[in-house]
Amino acid sequence: MTTATLSASAPGAQTSSATLTALHGNHACALAAIAAGCRFFAGYPITPSSEIAEHLSYELPKVGGTFVQMEDEIASIAAVAGASLGGLRAMTATSGPGFSLMQENIGYAAMTEIPLVIVDVMRGGPSTGMPTRPAQGDVMQARFGSHGDRPVVALAPASVQEIYEETIRAFDIAERLRTPVTVLYDQVIAHLLESVAVPAPGAVRVIPRKWANGASGPFRPYEAGDDGVPPMVRPGDGHRSHTTGLTHAETGFPTQTPAVVDRMMRRLLGKIDANRALVERFATRATDDADVLIVAYGITARAARRAVDVLRAEGVKAGLFRPITLWPFPEDALKRAASGAKSVLVPEMNAGQLVLEIERVLGGAAPVRRLNRIDGEPIVPHQIVAAVKEIFS
Amino acid sequence: MNARASVAGSGSGSERLEIRLAGSGGQGLILGARILFEALSIEGRRASQSQNYEPTSRGGFCHSDVVVSEDVSDFPLVTGLDVLIALDQVGFDRSIGLIKPGAMVIVDQRVATPSDADWRLHRLPIGERAVASGNPRAANMVALGAFAALSGFFRETSLDEAIRRETPEKFAAANLSAARAGLRFGETVTA
Repeated sequence: MTTATLSASAPGAQTSSATLTALHGNHACALAAIAAGCRFFAGYPITPSSEIAEHLSYELPKVGGTFVQMEDEIASIAAVAGASLGGLRAMTATSGPGFSLMQENIGYAAMTEIPLVIVDVMRGGPSTGMPTRPAQGDVMQARFGSHGDRPVVALAPASVQEIYEETIRAFDIAERLRTPVTVLYDQVIAHLLESVAVPAPGAVRVIPRKWANGASGPFRPYEAGDDGVPPMVRPGDGHRSHTTGLTHAETGFPTQTPAVVDRMMRRLLGKIDANRALVERFATRATDDADVLIVAYGITARAARRAVDVLRAEGVKAGLFRPITLWPFPEDALKRAASGAKSVLVPEMNAGQLVLEIERVLGGAAPVRRLNRIDGEPIVPHQIVAAVKEIFS
Repeated sequence: MNARASVAGSGSGSERLEIRLAGSGGQGLILGARILFEALSIEGRRASQSQNYEPTSRGGFCHSDVVVSEDVSDFPLVTGLDVLIALDQVGFDRSIGLIKPGAMVIVDQRVATPSDADWRLHRLPIGERAVASGNPRAANMVALGAFAALSGFFRETSLDEAIRRETPEKFAAANLSAARAGLRFGETVTA
């Protein structure tokens, strides 16, 4: 085997002072939120995400935080946006149907640049679908669910350890780039029990929000510096602010002046591109000499990883590219990993969603094949092995 | 005398091991797997534990799986069982297709099994011994004790500690007693 390690492109939350703790995926998510400084949760329980709310209902009061069970998901995301605007790190958790209801206000938070975290534990869809069965059907909803062009960040952990790490990273990205961040994972890892390296209390570095300071007189709340991210106004500190979903100028007030609209929109979208190094995370296995590159995420990536080992043992040069950040998609990293591949295979627990992005990125450089499972069961390693062998037969 | 034989059979020393507790809802299979996971954790080993996520509080096929692998990104669900522990017929019948050749199979003595299978089969009076230990509902603990004794895969002390950690205090004594009853199967192996 050529490359034996599954190396991630960015460090996680693991520290030397960490202790191994047995946690379910949703429990790890709740504890990571607390460690990341989350002090407000508003949500409406929905399978298979409910344990996140359950654990936070115990944990938040212990740290002086607030837990609110709302009347529905529209109110939940609105409350989270309000709490964040008020100065708290805030999140909600849901599944596909609730994620659909939240979409308008997710766009509002993107437009008004309110940091917040949404956890979407994916189950079988569409509609009410199969509450207790896994799926990966919300990949495109995370990208295009809300109307208009907006900045989008979505992270897709593949293990309980990674749920812990990516939940912390979601808060970090949300706060630093002033944008909503979605953590996407499926029912399997939500309810999986695994050993997690939980950092000692206080060991997770929480970067404070960038607040407006200096003279309050001429202050313009949506004027950004070189990083493209304007400082936030701490309510009541004297700096003027105006928050609206209407397209606004640096003053915060609505505008339809084409040159201003163009400038504001390009900054809004551009701040994600300018910070790709912060946002993008991926892992590879045995990609250097791979004839066939498998691109997979979440639980499916772990089936693919097993398949790669089985195929390599049989002399088939298979490799794995695993995006941990789905949006923005790590384009350059995929191009590098696929540079020598004769064929690409994309297994997904949906009818074919991320494959569309992979086809776009590779632009015909290698044929892209699909392996889709939509019966409520996870994709297993032997299915991927069989699909790869079929490519070479 | 194969009481301490390796769990993984010919593939002993392999990095991955798949274990299933199978039976019917209400038999404590999920708790059993959680205790197995904890016992392994005590010995510094990594594992993933999963179960079918359906309402099966009483009756109906239920299973709970533990996949032991030091690689944190390995596939965490079962693909072929190295060990099956089946407390009843439905648990055995619904898992039979996943049993690997040479696997260790521990079943209650009431379970009918094919005579020509290539497994290391242990048909034991698990339910009977649970009743004798004073708690008919502790068959899961008897089975864990039997697995520990027959496989040597983890230490008796680790099992005891895991049971203490994972069960409420008022059930701990009964569960420990049931596990000890299972551990005695190591002394009288029935093949």
